[in-house]
This record gives sequence, C-alpha cells and structure tokens, in this order.
Amino acid sequence: MIANKAKTLLFALALLGLIITQATEADNSPSTLHAVADRPMAPDFALADIDGAIHRLSDYRGQVVIVNFWATWCPPCREEMPSMQRAWEQIQDEDIVILAIDVGEDEDTIFTFTADYPVEFPLLLDLDSRVIQEWPVRGLPTTFIVDTQGRIAYRAIGTRDWEDSALLNTLKQLHDR
Amino acid sequence: MIAPSRSITQRTQYYRNGMLLLLLLCVPAPGTSIGEPVTQGVIPETGLHYWEWQGQGALFRLTQRLPDQTRAFFLARGFAPEDADFLARKCVFQTLFKNTDPAGGATLEYDLDEWKVHAEGTTQGLLTRERWGGIWEARGLAQPARIAFEWSLLPTRQRYQPADYNWGMTSFGLEPGTRFDLDFFYAREGTRHNGRFEGVECPADVHPEPQE
Repeated sequence: MIANKAKTLLFALALLGLIITQATEADNSPSTLHAVADRPMAPDFALADIDGAIHRLSDYRGQVVIVNFWATWCPPCREEMPSMQRAWEQIQDEDIVILAIDVGEDEDTIFTFTADYPVEFPLLLDLDSRVIQEWPVRGLPTTFIVDTQGRIAYRAIGTRDWEDSALLNTLKQLHDR
Repeated sequence: MIAPSRSITQRTQYYRNGMLLLLLLCVPAPGTSIGEPVTQGVIPETGLHYWEWQGQGALFRLTQRLPDQTRAFFLARGFAPEDADFLARKCVFQTLFKNTDPAGGATLEYDLDEWKVHAEGTTQGLLTRERWGGIWEARGLAQPARIAFEWSLLPTRQRYQPADYNWGMTSFGLEPGTRFDLDFFYAREGTRHNGRFEGVECPADVHPEPQE
C-alpha cells in the first residue's frame, strides 16, 4: 500500500515537472540578437534630437551603439520602449549608447509620445526618411548593434526584451572586444 | 465485503496513472498547435475577425481593419481626405508575420509578390509598397504622408531569423465586404511552404453611431 502511494506521489511529481517545463518553455521565447556576417560599416548619420542637439554616429566611435528605428504609431515600437529605457538605466555607465531614430514624424508628435513613454536616451528625427533608406531596414522596429569600430555587429527585427541578461551580456562582451 | 487483492489494486493504480498520462499527452502544451495550422476567430473587444496560420516555424495573422480605422490613421499622418478614403476602401488588414523557431532555428523568407488573391472569379496580387508607390505618385500624395504610408505596410519581402517579426498593414485592393481566398507562400531554410486562408472578408464600410 505504501509502495503504491509512493508510486502515485512520484507520478504526480513527474506530471508536475512536465507541466512546469512546458509552461517555462512557453514563456521563454527567444530574445536573441542575430550576428551580421562580416560586420559591414554602419552608414554614418547626423540627426537632431527633439531638443535640437545633433548626434553624429561616428562621434560615438569607441562605444557600443544601439541604433533603433521606430515610429510612434508602430505598436511593437511602443511596446519595447519601456524595456529599452530600463536597459538604458543599466548600461549607460558602461559606454553603451542608445540612439532611437524616429522615421518621418516631427518633434511635437514625439514630444507628445514621451508623455506616455518617458525615455532618457536620445530620440532622433529622420524627418525625410533619408537615413533609414541607407540602412538595411524593411520594417519597424528594426534595431542594430554597432560595435566600437563603427561596424554593424548584430540585428533584431521586431521587439526584444532589452533587459534580458543574455542580451545585455552580448552588448557588454562586444564592448570588451 | 471482500477486500480487493493487491494485484487488482495495483492494476487499478497503473490504469489510473496510464489514463492520467494519456490525458496529459492529449492536452496541447502552451505555445504549440495541433491539427490544422489555420484558425479563424473574432476579437471579443472589437468584433473584428482574424485568420491565423501557425505551423512550420511561422505565425501569420490577418486581422480586419475597419475602413474608418484606416481613414483616421492616415488622416492623422498628412493624408488628404480623398486619399485616405481611397486607401481605406482597398481592403486593408492588420498583419503579423513571425518566425516562431527557437534560437538557432531556421530562417524564414517571404515575398508578397508571390501571394495570390482569389475573389469573384479572378486572381490578383496584393497591393504592395511598390504598387502603391505608383498610385501615390499619380495622385500627388505629399512626401511626409508617403513616408508614413510606406513604413506602415508589411514589407514586400523579408527574411526573418528566429524571434524576428514584423507588424504592418496589407492591402488586397478589393471593395469593402468582398470575400476572398488567399494563397500564401514562404520558404523555411530553403524549403517552400504554402497555406490558404479561405473566405477572408474585407470589412464592410460601416459607420456605427453611438447608442443612446
């Protein structure tokens, strides 16, 4: 009788383990950056932020730069902004920069957006979409990681969890190389 | 009352355990799909219909957009009312295409120019960014509006690594209320896959009034 109870208990534990494993796998969607072959040079740009300050990509040489193309009307872009802000709070002292380039919208639109999605990293304006057309982007959001030598090292299409420790480690390791 | 023998009790226990395991195996794990990869449903909050494909490493979903939603969206982005109306009446859907493979999985590619729309006895292609470009050129749409439009659409061609996805609008060039079948294709690590959504309905151009 005791042996039967033990078997039932073991079986129940096995079931529980299986259920937990399945649930964990379902929640653990991949949050990866994809390495770009041969690391091509990132096209340089000089764009104003919403305060009028000019940001030139080449001025950030020696730092790792996250270049994010987005727009306020794009739901996935909005979705990842808070996670990008929280990541920024963790990495800004590690010579890692975020430049979020809005495509085709003016200061007023972005300023209104920041009331609901406050972020501290620079939001740049690509008003005539000239910059995005020089980058290998087909849809929004698309994000590139530019290494310390100004080359495109990684790419992500769609949102990512920017607080993900594996993702942040990838950025930090890039800085060390 | 005769107590059941040990062997009968054991067999009953094994039987119960076996049934439990069988039941568990029949329950789909979260994030997986069983049976047909195409599902269709209604979004409870809006009453809008969606068609979804989930299989062979891809998630592809079409969700209806009311013409008024499209009008409002593009009027807010510099469209003249007649241009917003022209677009809104071309059967616009909200669209998601995603590579659902785990990290290290296969690459997906699609080309909207290969997809076929079957409606009212004819077959045609989608109205892609490039085709719309010619239309807007002819209509003289202002540049800022064209930029907003171009980036609002699902890319005509895309290549997704695992976890990559795009969200954007697709336009099928049909009148509101038209029903159509869509044949779609994509390649997964070089192998071509195809699917079909049947009876997809361009949402009617309705203007609901507030209820008193």
